[in-house]
Amino acid sequence: MNNENNARPLPTTIPEYLEQLRAALAGADPAMIQDALYDAEEYLRSELAEQPGRGEAEVIAGVAGSYGAPEEVAEIYRETEVTVNRALRTPLPGRGPAPLPPVAAGVATATAAAAATAKPRSTVARFFGVVLDPHTYGALFYMLLSLVTGVFFFTWVVTGLSLSVSLLILIVGIPVLLLFLGSVRVLSLVEGRIIEALLGVRMPRRPAYTDRSQGWLARIGTMFTDGRTWLTMLYFVLMLPLGVAYFSIATTLLSTSLALVFAPVADVLFDQPVGVWIDGVNVADGFWLWPVSVVAGLVLLFGTLHLARAIGRLHGAVAKHLLVRL
Amino acid sequence: MGDFEAQLRKFQKELSAGTVSLALLAVLAKAREPLYGYLIAKELERTGDGVLSGKQSALYPVLRNLEGAGLLESHVEPSVAGPPRRYYRINDEGRAVLTQWIAAWNATRDSLESVLEGVER
Repeated sequence: MNNENNARPLPTTIPEYLEQLRAALAGADPAMIQDALYDAEEYLRSELAEQPGRGEAEVIAGVAGSYGAPEEVAEIYRETEVTVNRALRTPLPGRGPAPLPPVAAGVATATAAAAATAKPRSTVARFFGVVLDPHTYGALFYMLLSLVTGVFFFTWVVTGLSLSVSLLILIVGIPVLLLFLGSVRVLSLVEGRIIEALLGVRMPRRPAYTDRSQGWLARIGTMFTDGRTWLTMLYFVLMLPLGVAYFSIATTLLSTSLALVFAPVADVLFDQPVGVWIDGVNVADGFWLWPVSVVAGLVLLFGTLHLARAIGRLHGAVAKHLLVRL
Repeated sequence: MGDFEAQLRKFQKELSAGTVSLALLAVLAKAREPLYGYLIAKELERTGDGVLSGKQSALYPVLRNLEGAGLLESHVEPSVAGPPRRYYRINDEGRAVLTQWIAAWNATRDSLESVLEGVER
């Protein structure tokens, strides 16, 4: 197609093209930008490899027609992201009929209509609606899982860092360090997948862009100067205390609230009287305590679900800031 | 004049938005081996004869979505030329979906043709 209204001249090298694409995507979701840069680089490098006789500038000029100029590509990714987000979003409880085919490119209008029917919900409905929000359970599961992943990430970073740094006096330390830095990047993607699946925060699906025109020594150098490497390690170290805290909060609150809710059942089935014990003396005995216990348990349970969802959102934001940076 | 052209472009965009998933599934169903994004784009450009070739950058997000929907499977292989490539392969569910989509497409095409019949050109 035609490519008029190009504000800027076409780039002549692949890093320049990617730089323009990044500039054109400024302000968009960083995770999406990372994916877009990865896709573009794959296409450009493949095209360059297919046509060995032609120069980089020539190939890019041809690509502007087939793949798109940076501005056009940015526009396409912005549009697709909006459409896909609408299509993949789970319909919220109490909102219009919005079940959509999982793969749908032209569904923007249907979902826009569904979103328009959304009506403001009462405070009570919002309080209890948390039960129907899949992200609540995702967050709850993430809180339980984070103990395991937190311990693993922390151990990996501390072991890897101390092992490779102390081995640096021998020559074997260098490959060990490089392997370790590479593994941190892979783990960062893995954690991103977990977070996107459980907490619903968009995270990158492709590794971050690296400038391949530089020599391998320069690329190793950028691994150290790249803020992402260190922020990712900081995140992994932070995951230990956070994971322990999340796990403790989730298990404590869940077991307390469930115990309160099912206390009358224990009374009936297992002869465990409901009551408030102080120094082994039941100071509040009697049937009136049954409904009180159940109601208190339910309120605590719903509070726990709200807390889990809030922690999920907060943690998603933290992860996005530490793991995804351009 | 420019107005007509803009409308034509908008129409072409909407058409390709509706059909690109079908085209991608078909390309991968015909392929004997897993393909990566660039090869899929080129294959579509070659056989689609330019009609489906809107900007090829639009294909990558759709490939990711098809994979997310469980219709494609993928693996990564390192490459000499650039970043590691993600190779896509259609799975059984993808083939089943493709069969249904082809039927839906045929029905759409037939009914559209009968509607368009007799229109003066």
